Amino acid sequence: MDKKTLIRLEKLNQLSLTESEEAAALDFFARRGNQAEALNGINTDDTERMVHVMPMTNVIREDKQSKVFTRDQLLEGAPESMDGYWQVPRLVD
Amino acid sequence: MKFETVIGLEVHVELATDSKIFCSCSAKYGAEQNESVCPACCGMPGMLPIVNKHVVDLGMTAGMMLNCDINRTTTFDKKSYYYPDLPCSYQTTQWFAPICVNGKVRIETENGEKFIRIKQIHMEEDAGKLVHDDWTDTSLVDFNRTSVPLIEIVSQPDLSSAKEVLAYLERLRNLLRFARVSDCRWEQGSMRCDVNLSVRPEGSDKLGVRTEMKNMNSLSAIERAIEYEVARHIDAIANGTEELVQETRRWDDVKGKSYPMRNKETAGDYRYFPDPNIMPVVIDDEWFDKIKSTLPEFPEIKEKRFIEEYELDEKVASQIASSRAFCDVFEGAYERYPKAVEIANWLISDCSKILNRKKMTADMLSINGASLGELIKLVNEGVVNRAGAAKILDAMFDTDIDPKAYAEENGFIISNDTGKIEEVIKEVVANDMKSVNDYKSGKEKAIMALFGQAMKKLNKNCDPKTLRELLIKYVDSI
Amino acid sequence: MNKYITKAAESAAKAVVLDDMILTVGMPTTAGSKMLDGYNSLFESEAVTKLKSAGYGIAGKANTGEFGLDFLGETSHFGACADESGNLISGCAAAINDGDAFAAVSLDTNGTPRRAAALAGLTCLKPTYGTVSRYGIVPAACSGEAVSVTAKCAADVAEVADCIIAHDFKDGTSLPEEVCNSIKGNIKQGEFKKVAVIKNLVDSADSDTQAKIASACTALNNSGIATEEINDEILPLSQSAWFILMSAEACNNISRYDGIKFGYRSPNYKNIDELYTNSRTEAFGLLTKLTVLYGSECLSDDNYMPVYDKAMRIRRVISEHLNSLFEKYDALLLPACSKTAYSEDEVKSDIDTAYNESLYTAPASISGVPAVACAGVQFIGKALSDKVLLGLAQICEKEA
Repeated sequence: MDKKTLIRLEKLNQLSLTESEEAAALDFFARRGNQAEALNGINTDDTERMVHVMPMTNVIREDKQSKVFTRDQLLEGAPESMDGYWQVPRLVD
Repeated sequence: MKFETVIGLEVHVELATDSKIFCSCSAKYGAEQNESVCPACCGMPGMLPIVNKHVVDLGMTAGMMLNCDINRTTTFDKKSYYYPDLPCSYQTTQWFAPICVNGKVRIETENGEKFIRIKQIHMEEDAGKLVHDDWTDTSLVDFNRTSVPLIEIVSQPDLSSAKEVLAYLERLRNLLRFARVSDCRWEQGSMRCDVNLSVRPEGSDKLGVRTEMKNMNSLSAIERAIEYEVARHIDAIANGTEELVQETRRWDDVKGKSYPMRNKETAGDYRYFPDPNIMPVVIDDEWFDKIKSTLPEFPEIKEKRFIEEYELDEKVASQIASSRAFCDVFEGAYERYPKAVEIANWLISDCSKILNRKKMTADMLSINGASLGELIKLVNEGVVNRAGAAKILDAMFDTDIDPKAYAEENGFIISNDTGKIEEVIKEVVANDMKSVNDYKSGKEKAIMALFGQAMKKLNKNCDPKTLRELLIKYVDSI
Repeated sequence: MNKYITKAAESAAKAVVLDDMILTVGMPTTAGSKMLDGYNSLFESEAVTKLKSAGYGIAGKANTGEFGLDFLGETSHFGACADESGNLISGCAAAINDGDAFAAVSLDTNGTPRRAAALAGLTCLKPTYGTVSRYGIVPAACSGEAVSVTAKCAADVAEVADCIIAHDFKDGTSLPEEVCNSIKGNIKQGEFKKVAVIKNLVDSADSDTQAKIASACTALNNSGIATEEINDEILPLSQSAWFILMSAEACNNISRYDGIKFGYRSPNYKNIDELYTNSRTEAFGLLTKLTVLYGSECLSDDNYMPVYDKAMRIRRVISEHLNSLFEKYDALLLPACSKTAYSEDEVKSDIDTAYNESLYTAPASISGVPAVACAGVQFIGKALSDKVLLGLAQICEKEA
């Protein structure tokens, strides 16, 4: 990974690293990348990907509506709120 | 140089469920801001998604109505991007195995019928809503719509004009409303459409630069947006007015122009991956067949059948077939009392009048079809009169009543009890001997006063002919 | 020594300490992060509800590394938990060893509770995935993280585990009731005959750790259980594969913390992007940031197939490999970490420690099988063998 990619990644994840953190990150990623090489030694062409370790299906619920918390409770920890809304700087689009 | 337009659509439709797709909050439109919200809807940690079965039912129904193949194993994935209306900064959607693929929809065009291919339909959650506050110059976030279930219907680029797009959207809307998948209301945002469009010289096999347009809130806005965008593309290609770039644009209906969008989903790189918290949904034959068996007849087939089987006039048939509710009531009534033309009249005049008065749409008609059939039968058999029937029909809009029992309880039954009528006549005559004498002295009209008083006493619930005969007979006898 | 982030008022009940990834009502839940400093959940985790209704008290919320991604709590915004000689011990383990709590319930995302138990001379069960509800935990890596129990001995662990093992309809990955019930009840002894010692992993640890493995073998042999050394080249692949899966899931789960709805909001912003970036940048520690960025990169268009999809396939390879091992052996014996003590300074100066040490814990994390850390070593067994693993732990505890 190069610095350009790292900066794109930072933007994508809403993070901003310092110069020294960026250097540490590039080293960290390089080591992880090298270690991940070992996985390529295993042929997995005929292996299905495993998303869930327990094979279950159809964990579904009936279409029933319920309300547990009030709006005020949900907004209690909001950094900023107004008239029952969460509040953020104005968006352009 | 002549140009041709290539258009593909992404249509979002909110599903008609009571609760949201992954939590139990209400999915109904119109709540106060942030009243249909739980910790999961505002991104708080700790709650886990459980799929609403009805969402899968409706996704499957939509696919069947649009001639799709149903993926018997369908899975959910996460799509990541930052925007304040997306509380978890990810949307749970279907990327790798959507519920429906490979459909087709028939539309009528100037050049005859045309089939628009459907690439896929996937289930996903809606995002919240932003309101802009000028006074504080901030944006306010409402999560009521967060996690309301949607299907996204992705077409192949088979459409070639605004007219075709409108025909396709009308057709989708009609089919989905008919199958009760969604109420498809543009004005409430329960049906929305993004337009992918490119233009190329006629006959060219190379596609032009494609742009995606969002934010059209009505069919007419879609039409204007397409016309504007086509003109912009042609101008760019033919006259070099600008360099076209692949981008997402926002339609401004007031200005009548589209503008490049600067943020939100334009960034790409959504980092899709399978949701580890949601197990695959496997649709077995039993589930599949159950949904299949509840599918309605297609509206145009119903219309044809109404004309051929019930001998309805074309205009009437088409009016009834335009609404699933009308069809259901019509067929329910016919089963009880097979007088098709009369039922149709009752629906189109009497029922529509009440709907108008209550400011309801045709789809909101929820009276029991069999009861309507029974009511018409009662009128035809002279058991209740039209005035009484109108009141009974009104009551049927409020609750599911048995018309006959209701008529009895509320005195709407036409009395054929001659004894009772004669009793009333005697009473009226005894109180108004003046009219009797006037009548006997040749003032024929005087008997009408007696008739009116008797009718009133009988609550209008007697056969006028019988009353008239008995009255004349009695007056003559004294 | 920053044992607790929130200490509860004293109570007469038998107390369980929670790590700060477990949501509670009435006590904040921070996940060890500045982002959630003072965060009050509106609901509590299913595990806590179960503990309370069984009559346990809550001793408090123990110090936790940020989002459970680190080695032993060293990344906590609230200061790492170390003993007087500067050796790292987890908040939960310290609370038990100091006698404040009878047991600990904590989230095992990257092996922390197992390592803590091994280092503190305690016993820890990471139960079979899906047997304890994950409803009400601060999520990081949903596909493999498990609510775990730590106590002084296997019997105490079993008592608390039985209280929280149950089907929960609020967790879509929760195993069915009858499956959960099947692992409740007495610790099972005498069912296991043969344990494989993963020699290459033992060899990679220091001599003190190797000595603990040797004592465990002696204890097992004395109880009539055979031990056999094997070299295994598949299990070490778990380390890299789990890091890919965990980082990607953590990246996604941690993306909800954006300074808008709750938690930390930076005072320095002029627009929405600055609000996002400054809040997240100021609130997260370096390891969290690196994990998020690495996870994001694993999911990029270019890397999804060769990296993320590959890791999911390796996950199946490892699961199937474990199943084949469990046809020959009843359990595997391996270290829980590479040394018997770690100084706070050494761990903090090496950002790779958590990754390096996950060599031993990742096999059970990635495959969802149960694991028990005890007497400084670790056993892993096939799915739902939890109580039999605790039986092995009891044998080793007696010897130690």
